[in-house]
Amino acid sequence: MSDALRRQRPHGLNDLFFEQAAIETALENRLLETFYLWGYGRIILPTFGYYESLSAGASPQLQRQMYRFFDREGNVLALRTDMTVPTARLVATRLYDQPLPLRFCYAGSVFRHEQPQAGQRHEFTQAGVEMIGAATPQADAEVVALAVAALQTLGIGEFQINLGQVAYLRAILEEIGLENGGQYELEQAIGRKNDVEVAATCEALGVGGEAARLIQALPHLYGGPEVLARAHELTADPAARAAVAYLEEVYALLAAQGVAEHLILDLGEVRSMAYYTGIAFRGYVHGLGLHVCSGGRYDDLIGRFGPSLPAVGFALGIERAMLATDARADISPDLLLSCESATDGYALAARGRALGLRVELDVLGRQGAALAQYGRARGARRIATCGQDGRCALRTGDAERALTLAELEEEMTRWSR
Amino acid sequence: MEPLTVALPKGRMQDDVLALFAEAGYPGESDNGRKLIFEDAGGRLRFVLAKPSDVPTYVEYGAADLGVVGQDVVREGGQDLYEPLHLGLGRCRLALAGPAAWRGRDLRLVPYLRVATTFPRLTLDYFQERGLSAEVIYLSGSVELAPAVGLADLLVDLVQSGRTLRENGLVELETIMASEAILVVNRAAQKLRFRQIQEVIERLAAALEQRKAAA
Repeated sequence: MSDALRRQRPHGLNDLFFEQAAIETALENRLLETFYLWGYGRIILPTFGYYESLSAGASPQLQRQMYRFFDREGNVLALRTDMTVPTARLVATRLYDQPLPLRFCYAGSVFRHEQPQAGQRHEFTQAGVEMIGAATPQADAEVVALAVAALQTLGIGEFQINLGQVAYLRAILEEIGLENGGQYELEQAIGRKNDVEVAATCEALGVGGEAARLIQALPHLYGGPEVLARAHELTADPAARAAVAYLEEVYALLAAQGVAEHLILDLGEVRSMAYYTGIAFRGYVHGLGLHVCSGGRYDDLIGRFGPSLPAVGFALGIERAMLATDARADISPDLLLSCESATDGYALAARGRALGLRVELDVLGRQGAALAQYGRARGARRIATCGQDGRCALRTGDAERALTLAELEEEMTRWSR
Repeated sequence: MEPLTVALPKGRMQDDVLALFAEAGYPGESDNGRKLIFEDAGGRLRFVLAKPSDVPTYVEYGAADLGVVGQDVVREGGQDLYEPLHLGLGRCRLALAGPAAWRGRDLRLVPYLRVATTFPRLTLDYFQERGLSAEVIYLSGSVELAPAVGLADLLVDLVQSGRTLRENGLVELETIMASEAILVVNRAAQKLRFRQIQEVIERLAAALEQRKAAA
């Protein structure tokens, strides 16, 4: 059995190497740098934990997607499906009394057993932020604006952030007063924007008149700031109206930061309801059939682990973002070096590296055509060979010239990466 | 503006669907199905003819922004799509059927059951939700054969008029779901090209209204 599996990897996992691995690392670093500039500090969290802990607050769907296993005492463990839940546990158990707000950022693998569809991976990298301890439109606006900055830092020019308000939907569904089962069915139908199914579900659940009309209108609450007025007029429910007013403030703060051009108000999206309690948003990029980032306010999660604290955050899928950028990474050496004298080779390589050059030292004793062939395959910018007598040959492209060891060392100072 | 890509089901439903798009103001000609990619006369839609069961895949990946496919196919595939419009075409039902002797038998009391189907997921869900145990046997077509040759006790298949079942000496036992052709939309495209897609939906809806008024 193990023989057949030895050369395989489980479905939904990926090996990254060569340029792709370098790009992923570069994008991850760029994102973290951006988060640092906005005052967010890195947290590094365990990859797995107790299932009971990591599944807290997760939707039944997400719970089913968790990879589970046992520790030696028989406790159920699970791989993390996101960074938000372990962050919530950390804050509620150890950091709840620190000066607020806490601003954290992270980058790391998360694991979900997804249906093998639409390029969904079972292990993927998320980079994101959490702001804990501030329940204000200012906090929400900062996180949305940071999502915009993150997409920009990745070099994604054309994108769109769909901003919704879960509290609005929840107030409306609560006002209708459905039992949980019925509400779930209705949310599914609304989630598919399937008007016929919505109407049929409403009828089956005995929801009629004004309420049914309101629900049918939800998918159409989509567009610019005018949507806010429409959402306000649709309902007289005070909680729903307060939710719209809150969103209006967030929108105004985002406009003040000059990022409104990327925003679309989208109040009919129910997908994120399990987790979020306030604003919820997703980022979309042209040409990509899936969202690249998502986030929102989750005021009920941290309280599951200890003292309750409001929080807002977002996460970006790095592999998905990679599909949306034309980012390249340079993995070619600046100099491929082959010296007959080991001492000369080490000294020259050290000199080049000190100058910030990527120097690759030959370790197979190759020279001439063999070395040139390898250098071309590696994309080496320059190839140098040095003899015992200190006479060197430097090849750049097709041109080759002779020079001394000292001249080569002098030459290196003029190269820059 | 770049045309929206619409995946249409090749074959049985193809002409009906193209007729509906023509009535909605998007006349397109596949040259008797020889061309698999063609634009409508106004250059606003680019049609792609795909195998019906592949349509949701094209749309889920975003290779097509929109698609037309039976609701049964989407539920079977489990793809996560928007379904903004029912098109009134290809009405049928997914039904549990079997030899006449099975009529009226309580499936709870049958300890072991074999069911042949081209819809393994929906069939399994149907039996599991009812707490019944069934061995689901996946076939890629002609499921009516299965009871006749002893491969399965029952079958789950799409039924339109019921004629195929009758001709094979089978009867319909239960309806699992009603189905018809629906418009499906890629989740990201719905967000990114909202106005364009909304216009297609509204025009199709208007064409459907006109059909209803004419009937």
